[in-house]
Amino acid sequence: MSDLVDRVHTFRQSNVWIYSTMLVSACLSLLASFVLSVDAIALAKDPHANLSCNINSRISCGTVGVSWQAHLFGFPNAFLGLLAEPVVITIAVACLAKVRFPRGFMLAAQIVYTLGVIFAYWLFFQALFGIGALCPWCLLVTLSTTLVFASLTHINLRDNNLFLPPRAHEAGKAALRMGIDIMIVTLWLGAAIALVFWKYGATVFG
Amino acid sequence: MAQQKKPRTLSGATTNKAPKISGAEAATQRELLRQAREREERERKVRRTVTFGTLGVVVIGLVVLLIAVVVPALSKKAAAAGSYGLTVGADSAPVTVDIYQDFICPYCGQFDRAQSADLKSLVDAGSVKVVFHVMNFLDSSSNGTKYSTRAADAFVTVAKQQPSAALAFDTALYTDQPAEGSDGLTDAQIADRARSAGVSASVIATFANQPNLDFVTKSNQAAFDEGIQSTPTVKINGTVFKGDLYTAGAFKTAIQAAK
Repeated sequence: MSDLVDRVHTFRQSNVWIYSTMLVSACLSLLASFVLSVDAIALAKDPHANLSCNINSRISCGTVGVSWQAHLFGFPNAFLGLLAEPVVITIAVACLAKVRFPRGFMLAAQIVYTLGVIFAYWLFFQALFGIGALCPWCLLVTLSTTLVFASLTHINLRDNNLFLPPRAHEAGKAALRMGIDIMIVTLWLGAAIALVFWKYGATVFG
Repeated sequence: MAQQKKPRTLSGATTNKAPKISGAEAATQRELLRQAREREERERKVRRTVTFGTLGVVVIGLVVLLIAVVVPALSKKAAAAGSYGLTVGADSAPVTVDIYQDFICPYCGQFDRAQSADLKSLVDAGSVKVVFHVMNFLDSSSNGTKYSTRAADAFVTVAKQQPSAALAFDTALYTDQPAEGSDGLTDAQIADRARSAGVSASVIATFANQPNLDFVTKSNQAAFDEGIQSTPTVKINGTVFKGDLYTAGAFKTAIQAAK
């Protein structure tokens, strides 16, 4: 059992696993952004458009889509996903093919994506506490953005693309070896799911 | 496994070195190796604790979720619901339409604007009675003014005291419906709409006391207990209507077919 844990952890540190996770998550995020963009256009034509994911009063892309938060920069947020995720997909595919990007390039990717994650969670909290409705595609964006962020951070911490001093880099690598990162991600996502249920209870099933 | 290899290279190295420094160097190397092995073992232990700890927390979380959310949801469905329906129309009408609604819910408004003319003619003709179930679970969507409760309270008053005007008042509340997330209508605007719907001044005068707050809350709870999870939910003779609620036609046809 303990041997299995070690094997899983070794595999988890491999480039194949990390970049595959990044690739799949970025593809899911792109898909969700695309659907949300199409919905945004439908809502612009008709604010009452009955979207496929208007399941009930609590799960409603329409309610979320017409909120001001959904157009924070004057255009639908989903357009940002359409712009950013293909870049992540490109990085992931290139790295799977053993391309090594310059450290500065990866650092820039890390900075931009960190802003993206912050924005995604700001929207998550707005939907939960401000708008009062959730949309399944937005939740998919929240989830996949978290996973892309986790894998990108994993790589950049491991390869020291973050230009950390040696001691901090060693500590970071040790944390990765001990699986601290996966614990943080798991608990973080668990907390997000618990928050959704705490706020909306069983309504989210229906 | 890897630990077996390392001492061998170490011993090989010692034999090749000049005897004078070999002892000290080997000792340093052995010491370094020992430290590396110790660190590896330490990390292994932490890794195991972290992995199983996280798994444990996830499992506990799932169990709590199951007990706190799923079980109550199922048992609530089984629990008997009290009756908080407000009937409008002739008791002898052959078809009963149940409407579960919250006055700030945009889709309830869409439903009403599409179907109210058909419903009114069917009720007037005596072929349908409508049972309204008011809900206020969207109270948080009116900037703290609790529009859902205020509108429902006034509606219950009208449905109880002047049922003949209830249908018109319902429609009046949904005409130019305030958006979800707005303040909703003011109490004065609710009274104005009641007046325009033909509610008598003496009934409107009782709105101010909000006499049905308890009724509205219990009606909302009863609807949830019945398993209603979204608004509008519309039933024809007790069966949820799954057709198009938001365009006139299909709903009327389904009612006429239910006779």
